[in-house]
Amino acid sequence: MCRNLTRRFGEFTAVDGLSFHVAPGAICAFLGPNGAGKSTTVKMLTGLLAPTAGEIEVCGLDPRTNPIELKRRIGVLPEDLGLFDDLTVEEHLQLTASVYGVGKQEAKDRIAQLLRALSLEHGRRTFASACSHGMRKKTSFAMALLPNPRVLFLDEPFEAIDPVTSKIMRDLLQSASRRGITVFLTSHILPVAEEIATQLIMIRKGKIVWDSPASELPQALEQHYFDLVESPVVEELEWLGPPRS
Amino acid sequence: MARTAAILGALGRALRRDQKSIAAVVGNNFFIVTALVLQEAGAFLYLILGLILLFTLSTDPLRKIPVSRLGLWPLERSERWILRAASPWVNPVTWLIGGSAVWVVRGKVTVGLWGLCGGLIAASFILSALPLGPRGNLWRRMPRFPEPLNHLIRKDLREMLSTLDFYVALLLSLAALAYRVWGPPLPQEALMPVTLLVVVALSSYAQCLFGLDGESGLERYRLLPVSGWQVLLAKDAAFLALAILVALPLAPMAGLGAALVALAVGHHATVHHQREQIRWRFSAGAPVIEGLVQCALIATAGASVGHSAWMMGPCVLAWAGSVWWYGRQWDATDHSGGSYAILP
Repeated sequence: MCRNLTRRFGEFTAVDGLSFHVAPGAICAFLGPNGAGKSTTVKMLTGLLAPTAGEIEVCGLDPRTNPIELKRRIGVLPEDLGLFDDLTVEEHLQLTASVYGVGKQEAKDRIAQLLRALSLEHGRRTFASACSHGMRKKTSFAMALLPNPRVLFLDEPFEAIDPVTSKIMRDLLQSASRRGITVFLTSHILPVAEEIATQLIMIRKGKIVWDSPASELPQALEQHYFDLVESPVVEELEWLGPPRS
Repeated sequence: MARTAAILGALGRALRRDQKSIAAVVGNNFFIVTALVLQEAGAFLYLILGLILLFTLSTDPLRKIPVSRLGLWPLERSERWILRAASPWVNPVTWLIGGSAVWVVRGKVTVGLWGLCGGLIAASFILSALPLGPRGNLWRRMPRFPEPLNHLIRKDLREMLSTLDFYVALLLSLAALAYRVWGPPLPQEALMPVTLLVVVALSSYAQCLFGLDGESGLERYRLLPVSGWQVLLAKDAAFLALAILVALPLAPMAGLGAALVALAVGHHATVHHQREQIRWRFSAGAPVIEGLVQCALIATAGASVGHSAWMMGPCVLAWAGSVWWYGRQWDATDHSGGSYAILP
């Protein structure tokens, strides 16, 4: 999927020689702390950002030489959701359907089903600027899924999502995976990643520190993450006052 | 009082760092052209547009504080009133516009008119605090356009309708229409300058067509499987629809030719020098020189088409060429400092 992928911003190297492969139909969780280079990697894989060096292949295509064809085959939930303030939830889905060439009746059915499944029906006519963060995230998730892509790229899909919708999204992703759709997601919610991922990649300061099938993890994911990526250091805030017995 | 002073101090610092308010004045074609052409005769225009519209709607410093944050701060009612009254005076634009207006109209304005202006300023402050935005039913009722760009054009129309540029153009157009209906008969040539002024009022927006999409919208554009020329075409369709609407009571053909040229020139700044815009403000486009070149070409194109309809051909060609060329430029740029090679 990518070889020696590197991205520099001036002197700062955000992604440093990443190489990994994700099999079709896998759910790959790409884990790491804030600023580790996860979103930069997703942007390069989806053609949003040009790599400084390295090779990328998604669905057999290079984002640099076949950008439009690649975009037709992938669905993306980007870091900042990619929504227009001046379109409603439903209009975003209609726009996606028409731009990706989904037939009129088919689009109508898919939109109705996605709105229902993600509990967006009541807010379908709400402008994105007036939506809650959760609604915006669900809209962007629905846009990624609607054209039935070959690969789904999801940047932190479960943050700011209510527990029921989170469960629905997890089920939808596992169902998509069973149908051969590859899922590549980033997340900070380790229990969710542990539950659904079939492959785990951990990244620290732009470099891969772990890449294996989920079944080959030597210990619980959270502990493994703390051991390899970073462990929490808790400081006592004395100025909060003495603890009550 | 210490709390209010701390907030005002922070607001002042934020405003000095944010030059967008000033840029909205100096980077807007309409203001540049009226300043150059009308000079002292434009005194009342500056007073009404500058002092009332710009001063209040465009540069209200309190808008820099998120409503939820302002509501959470432990301020007394009296402190909030002080903040409301004092905040405009920490804005350098207030002194710039207010000072210029007072200097230009010195001795020419009666006490009554100053009173009217004061009343309108107060009303504008109250109105500007209302949650104006793309929420009302009017915003939903947009005409339908051909697929697959229908929703992009509808969105672009809503964006353009939330800039003050369009309303200035509309005011000029309606005033001219009222004069044509109720005033003495006008020769056809008299409509040309007003038509050009109307297109000039819209032209700064043609230099920042992505200004209201925000980072999130720009990212979506990059993800959609559409070419750069299609993205620009959708933007231009919305611009032309509104330009034709305001030029309709004047000289529509000349207005269309001028609008096409405004877009042809504006694509350069739109693609290469993207500037974020703020709703309910005047658009701040390219640097002044680029704006003046755009205005000169708008005037040439409008006058040429007004003289001979055949001149519409070169205007259409210039626009189509610009869409094609800058569409390719858009495709070749990743808007993050990097750049993809232009594809064969």
